Amino acid sequence: MSSRGFHNLAEATEAALIVAAQARNQAAFSELVKRRQGWARALLRRMCNSHAEADDLAQEAFIKAWDKLNDLETPAAFPGWFRRIAVTTFLMAKRRQKAVFEEIDDASPVASEESTPEAAAGAKIDLEKALARLSDAERLCVTLNHGEGLSHAEIVEVTGLPLGTVKSHVLRGTEKLRRLLEPSQ
Amino acid sequence: MTDFDALLKRSFAEAPEPVDDGFAVKIEHAVARRESALKARNLAQTIGLAAAGAALAYGGYSFYGAFGQELLASAGLEVARAHGALSSAPSLGGAAQNVLHAIGAGLTQILLIAGALAGGAVAYRATQD
Repeated sequence: MSSRGFHNLAEATEAALIVAAQARNQAAFSELVKRRQGWARALLRRMCNSHAEADDLAQEAFIKAWDKLNDLETPAAFPGWFRRIAVTTFLMAKRRQKAVFEEIDDASPVASEESTPEAAAGAKIDLEKALARLSDAERLCVTLNHGEGLSHAEIVEVTGLPLGTVKSHVLRGTEKLRRLLEPSQ
Repeated sequence: MTDFDALLKRSFAEAPEPVDDGFAVKIEHAVARRESALKARNLAQTIGLAAAGAALAYGGYSFYGAFGQELLASAGLEVARAHGALSSAPSLGGAAQNVLHAIGAGLTQILLIAGALAGGAVAYRATQD
């Protein structure tokens, strides 16, 4: 595989790698994958319950990105553009598994929000274990909201779910996490 | 934002990312295979188009070899007949009749050939279906 156009791929900026990959430079794309694989796999691992499934979806997302790279208008938009591909790949996989994202489970009431001793103390929490206890939809919305910093409107745009559904999933998911992480409450 | 929300965001931000355990290499190979398959498909398409073009040219050449001279000869004969009819016409009505006759005779041959081609095309299409 050639790395033509670069003296040292490892030192190239992400923007330069993206532009080269858009010109079908496989070495540049490979370097881009090396730099972004951690973020992409972590994002999908939080959304999925299984690491193996998440890695398969991450692979699928990167290959889709390679195929559609010329649709990306500016290199700076890559993270948001790739996140959308990853979320769409995840949603398509869940639809194949007949997962339901728009129904909201009303069985678990939402408690009032208040500060916790751990939070006040700045304690770290076992995020992965706690996320595994949420529904697929709650995990998706909580990850995008708290993990990726997307607003409710941005989550609507990325997932295609109705705004009310997104708000409910974020609220309930966050509340479930709070209760899961506070067994004494 | 509550303290818990802040803690949650911090936990997301500080959560360790998976190390590259050969994942990037797997993608690299998958992309390389994809590109090779794409190149092979494009090559097959180009070869197919070239073969189709060559077959068409060969068919046209064979058709010309079999019927071309005869067609040209017939056309020339009809032109000569028409010219003869015009030049030796005793009257305008007779000449016009001869011209029409000549064109009619030529047209019959042209229509026969066109019909044969159309019939062949229909038969070919039927075998393909």
